[in-house]
Amino acid sequence: MSLFKTGPGRSIFDIAVIAAGFLVLLPILGINRTTDFMIFCVFVLGFNLLYGFMGRLSFGHMLYLGTGAYAITLFSEHVSQNPLLAVLAGILAGALIGVIIGPIIVRTTGACFALINLAFDQVGYFLVLVAFSKYTGGEDGMSAYFSKMGFLDFGQKPVMFGFALICLLLTYYLLKKFTSSPYGVLIKSIKENETRVKFLGYNTFTYKWITFIISTSIAAFAGALSILNYGYVTPSFIDPSRAVEVIFAALIGGSGSLYGAIIGGVLYMSISNYLASYISRWEMFLGIALLICVFRFRSGIWGFVTDKLKLRAAA
Amino acid sequence: MINTIAYGLTIGGILYIISIGLSLTFGTMRIVNFAHGLIYAIGAYFLVTLLPLARDNFILGALLAVLAVVPISYIIERFVVRKLYGVSIDYAIIATYAVVLIGVDVIKWIWGASPIPLSDPVGVDVAFLGITLPIYRLIIIALAVVIFIALAIFFKKTMVGKIVVASLEDKDAVRSLGINVDKYFAYIFIIGSCLAALGGVLYAPITSVHPYMGSMVLLISFAVVLVGGLGNIKGTFVAAFALGMVMSVTGRVWGPAAETMVFVVMGIVLIFKPIEV
Repeated sequence: MSLFKTGPGRSIFDIAVIAAGFLVLLPILGINRTTDFMIFCVFVLGFNLLYGFMGRLSFGHMLYLGTGAYAITLFSEHVSQNPLLAVLAGILAGALIGVIIGPIIVRTTGACFALINLAFDQVGYFLVLVAFSKYTGGEDGMSAYFSKMGFLDFGQKPVMFGFALICLLLTYYLLKKFTSSPYGVLIKSIKENETRVKFLGYNTFTYKWITFIISTSIAAFAGALSILNYGYVTPSFIDPSRAVEVIFAALIGGSGSLYGAIIGGVLYMSISNYLASYISRWEMFLGIALLICVFRFRSGIWGFVTDKLKLRAAA
Repeated sequence: MINTIAYGLTIGGILYIISIGLSLTFGTMRIVNFAHGLIYAIGAYFLVTLLPLARDNFILGALLAVLAVVPISYIIERFVVRKLYGVSIDYAIIATYAVVLIGVDVIKWIWGASPIPLSDPVGVDVAFLGITLPIYRLIIIALAVVIFIALAIFFKKTMVGKIVVASLEDKDAVRSLGINVDKYFAYIFIIGSCLAALGGVLYAPITSVHPYMGSMVLLISFAVVLVGGLGNIKGTFVAAFALGMVMSVTGRVWGPAAETMVFVVMGIVLIFKPIEV
């Protein structure tokens, strides 16, 4: 039962499993789709930190993805075309928006948290689409150009694939370290019962704020990677109506586990990439699948698998 | 100037009619009902279908459209919302959103995705203090006030209303009196849905009818509910008209910002008055 092994060798084992998994997917899906899938998985990991671990459902996480996407584009346009610096700028923009609106957002819980994120996303969408359309290209979007850095030419698909894989593994590793630290235990306790955590003398506000900033930064990271991959940004990267994608991915994979987030990300992308071409009413299918998830499969696929394996291990 | 105020009052009236149902389900069942926006859209689509059957009699068509929503909202309540009582609020959000995804796809399936225009059913303008206003808008404002008064009487005088008001305060205490609270919640859900459909029916002639018409209105209604206070009947009334005015004044200064301004106001209110749900 190496899947449940804990200890220092654990994260290396996990990283090897994930890397092997995507390398297996590579010939099946093709290089473009696999890169796409991995970037989406980074986004789901960031969302899942907030939802699965801290129990805060954000209904406007597209805002943070879009912040990263627009930050990297504007950075490459106005400051420097160095791709690594641009990605860094995207992450910093995500962190910055978390720092600014975090204190307002993390004071709320439950429905209020979900809706206030949605409201901010709506404002961001408006700013990009209408208010600053002179700089963002409005509805048409804009292209981003990046210079080559030696062998790092992100226009070449294998390079982009490798870079995205490394980014995903790095995100996974950092989140693994983060969630299994005492800090991670604390945010899980906030999910269970925040009042008791406060009784223990912790200032929960700071912890929630920092977790929120990490989550927005990772989402922005995913947005920046998408732009590095596509070279083009449109308002659909910040569109609030797409917020359900990441929620569905986190839910179907199993919220509250990092493996679950990656499985959910791959599964959602497979559904939206392949099912849409076979079934024209795929939104309805998505809705029904979501209902089944909520009523029957709350722990998601990964939760289901681990429960079964644990039962077998016990027997 | 007076035109702007009148426009704000019209939007406020429609916002009130839509939000009150949302506020009640929010306050009693602690459920964030995304399907509310779907019902709003379905009401408008039913009007489109039923209007020719009612020989273009708008009042009859509107009445039929609102009544036709009852079975749909009952199905949603019975098979989705009722199973969500007491569950984490996140699941309620996701499940009702799933209902919206299914419903919007069904709408596209039946009526198609392209917008359907409807004409002003009254079509008569009234001259008032030197400006002309469509009489239809005045009717909407009057209707919102009538509904507010009717609901106030309903909650004060009838048994169902009193039980609902008591449940807004303390659900468990009402349940311990031996009252089947869930049954009354179902009534409230259906009444709220009918009002949402009425909002859709009333607003359809002002804009056009399209499958995603519910989503923006729903977001604004959420803002109304959060600003007015969850399950606060009077607060919702005041907040609806206040935000309606915000929309019309902003729209006058800079058209595209009208809807966004509502969320800015909501954000400011939430900073000073965080709501624990």
